[in-house]
Order: sequence, then structure tokens, then C-alpha cells
Amino acid sequence: MIRFDGVRFRYRREPVLTGLTFEARAGEALGLFGANGAGKTTALRLCMGLMHPEAGSVTVDGRATAGLGPEDLVDRVGYLFQRPDDQLIRTTVREELAYGAERQGWAPDRITTAVAGALEECQLAGVADVHPYDLAMPKRRLVALASILVTDPKVLLLDEPTALLDRTGRALVAEIVRTRVAAGRTVIAVTHDPAFAIEALDRGVALAQGRAMLEGSAEELLRSGVAGLELPPAVVAAEQAGLRAKSLRMVDLASALARRPG
Amino acid sequence: MNAVEFSRVTFRYPTSGPVLREVTFGAPAGRVTWIFGPLGAGASTLLLAAAGLAPGLTGGTLDGSVKVLGHEAGTRAGRGAVQGRVAYVTATPHLQLSGMAESVFDEVAFAPANLGWERGRILSAVPAALERLGVSHLADRVPEELSGGELQRVVLAAMQVLRPEVWLLDEPTSALDGTGREMVRAFVRGEAERGCAVLLATEDAELGLALADEMVLLDDGSTVARGAPADLLGTELMWAIRAGSTGVGELARAASRLAGEQATHLVPPYPLTVAQAVARWR
Repeated sequence: MIRFDGVRFRYRREPVLTGLTFEARAGEALGLFGANGAGKTTALRLCMGLMHPEAGSVTVDGRATAGLGPEDLVDRVGYLFQRPDDQLIRTTVREELAYGAERQGWAPDRITTAVAGALEECQLAGVADVHPYDLAMPKRRLVALASILVTDPKVLLLDEPTALLDRTGRALVAEIVRTRVAAGRTVIAVTHDPAFAIEALDRGVALAQGRAMLEGSAEELLRSGVAGLELPPAVVAAEQAGLRAKSLRMVDLASALARRPG
Repeated sequence: MNAVEFSRVTFRYPTSGPVLREVTFGAPAGRVTWIFGPLGAGASTLLLAAAGLAPGLTGGTLDGSVKVLGHEAGTRAGRGAVQGRVAYVTATPHLQLSGMAESVFDEVAFAPANLGWERGRILSAVPAALERLGVSHLADRVPEELSGGELQRVVLAAMQVLRPEVWLLDEPTSALDGTGREMVRAFVRGEAERGCAVLLATEDAELGLALADEMVLLDDGSTVARGAPADLLGTELMWAIRAGSTGVGELARAASRLAGEQATHLVPPYPLTVAQAVARWR
């Protein structure tokens, strides 16, 4: 669904990507990991056609992004920015959510239904008529997330989707990712949150020196320790206590722990 | 005397009901005080009030008193008296850039220059601050082009250069990688040991547990508990107000709920760290 082939990119003098190659398939959630400044956000911007590689190619849903801008890709790619304020422009949450669908020429009834669905999915129904800027920053991130879910794009690009969220919000975002992936969508998430990676992501790519340094399952990457990655403390505790669980997700660890005699 | 003192603080934003209700507590020098609670509990608003920005910048109304280093935080005279002595780092560091600096070096030099420091003093203090936060290699970069995590440390350096007496930190590690988180954690601990009062708002319970001497637990704008994080984070109260706990605490509690009360080895207080969990579960 998304393919990077030998992508090189620099901001002014600073080379950021020096030959990045990876692929994200339909129906999978892929994590982009790496140290601060490794080029993770840059890779997302390239997927959206906000910038273009100086060499190599980025292909989205079979189309190379060369010559395309975000307006050409927005019907198939939704992008949650690291800073929600960069994408909130309307005066109520409900209008904000309708914006993308309106731009794509959807019929009003279809927009109303889709907006209601996204409000529900992101647990925002209670603030539908509030100005986004009257919400605290973490809630604004959920509004931005809801706004890209409305048109159900094939690809979701999520930049630090759980940053600033409390535990309820983090669990909600993980659940949304799993739901969308189960429906065949592709998710690429930039994250430093190992618990989110275990709950929500299938595979990962670790970026270093501007290229893919290691690819594997989310678990393998966290275990590898590359780029300062580590397993979440709950997983470390479960393993050190000798728990055997079906997966490393919280629900499976908890049921293994509950079954064990005291 | 507490470096930061909230007395019966009630606050409303222009379009909201009370987001703080009669909040009273103090943050002493040399200690890290962690404000924790579920989303919307009021932690960020408390920091804004201590920084003199709520209601000054945000609008709204504040009843009660917020004193920082003995001065009313919300008044012009109070802000003047603590200028350069209080460092506030928001959860959105990009909004804190001066917009006037073409390099990270100039960004960190900006506040000292504004306060009229001599050139020689600036030229020695800025590299030291960059070094302290591990961002010397970014000195020549354009601030607006930094990644979120790089920026977070640059903004800390731009405050550290002033050697503040009070730190107001809102999610200071939200965009950092593992290495950066460790560095900032050690940095904040070091600042408290240097004698600073640190007021920390974070949803990262691991960070709070590792750093804080005291936790102030908020729910819907009211203080519901105060105490050592290690004493509070493993109790049912944390879930009663939907605040949650560390990852290990979350796992312990989820298992306890599944197993029921007869599983006495799983009942609260829940373990919070890997070491505590292994000791109990093995």
C-alpha cells in the first residue's frame, strides 16, 4: 500500500533520509521507530505528498507521489500531525470533522452519518459543539484523529498518536488502530510509546542514519534495543515472573497472571 | 516557605465551568511535586496559573491566590519580580520558540540577551546549557526545523540557561525517545537536588513515580489525595478516578479483577515496578 524505494531527502544542508526502503501492506499497522531526529516525521510527510524525495520514490496505493500534492492523496490518506493545532481550522468539533468530507464533495447526509460515527469512535460526542481550541491539548489530538477517520481513508499516518494522552486515551487509540487494520486499512505510526506498539502495531521499521536499520515484528524491534527501544515495564515484569501468555498484549498478560495460582 | 503556593484556587476558562475548585497545596524547594489525574483534571491549568498565564493570557477568572517565590503570580508586579527565576515548559514546545532566532544557539541566547546579560556571560552560558541537555550538536540548526523531541530538549536548555529557581514542567518528555527521556529525567532530578522547586504535570506514571517526592492527585479540578507516589499509585483510588497507574500497576490490577478477591496474592496495593511485581508474582 505504501512503498519507499531508496528515498533520499534533506532539509537545506541536513541529510535526513539517505536511502530509506520499506513497505507497509494493506491490513497492517507498521511502526516507524528511531531516535529523535531520525527522520520518522519526514517519512510521513513524504507519504502525504507534503514534500518529495530528492532521489528514490514513494508509492501510495500504486501511485508514485512525484508530481502529486496532498490534495491528490487526501481521498486515500489521512494524516494525524504531531501537533494537532496544525490541522484544526473550524469553530466547532463537528464542523472540523465534516471538513474533509465536504472538500471531497460528499453528500450532506453521508457526511452527517460519518461524522457521528467518528465522534462516537473517538468518544467525542459530548464535545461535538465545542470550539476545538477550547479543549485541552490531549483532547484536541483526539479531535484531529477523528477528523481523519471520517472519510475512512485506506491509509492512516499517525505521528505520536498517544503523546499527552492519559491511559484511557491511549487504550482508545490502540483500539481504533486495531479496528481499522482489521477492516483492511494500513496504518503507519511514529511512536516512542512501547506499550502502544505492543497493543496496536504488527510490525516496525527502526530508522537510523536515514535508512531502515532493522525490520521485524513490533516485539522483535522492542526486544532488539535499537534506537533506545525497550519492552514496556509490564511485559518485562510478566516475563521475569515467568508468566506464559498468548501474546504480550495487556489482556493476555492479565489473564495469564489471573490464572496462575498464588 | 513553599516556592509555589496555591491557596483555595478556583479557575474558570472563558467558556468553561470551574476547572479548578478550591485547590490548596504548596511545592517546596528541593523537591519534585507531581500533579496527576485523568485527562481534564486541571494539572496543566495549575501550571498556567503558576506561570502567571492563567488568566493573564488564557482569559477566564481566578479566585484565591497563587504565589510563586512569595509574589502573586498573576500580577504584573509579581511577574516582574520573578522574571528569569521561573521556567515554564509547555506540552507544546514549538509554541515557546521566540520566532526571532535563526539557530538553536541564538534561541538559547534569546532570554539572557533580553535580560541584558553581558556578551561574555551569554557566550559561556549558552554552550553549557546546550551541553547539559545533550543538544550541543544542534547549535547551528534552525529551531523551526527540529524534530519534536529535539525541540523539547532545546526549550529546556533555553530555560536552564537562566538557572531558574522554579520549574513548571508540563509533559516534558512527551516527544522524547528512550535516551532523551532518561536524560531529561536525570536533569530534572538534578535541578531538584540543586534546590529548585519542580512542579511536574505528566500522564506518564512511570516518570512521575521515578521523579516525584510528592503526588497531588486531582479529579475534576479538586484535590483528592496527596502523598508519596509509591503509596498512592497502587491503591484502588487511582482507578476510582480513572487516573490509572504505571504499566505494571495496570497489569496487576487487570489480573486482580479477573481473578477475583479470593486471589489474595493479587489484591491491592498493586506492585508498581518490575522489581516489586517479580517479588510478588514469582
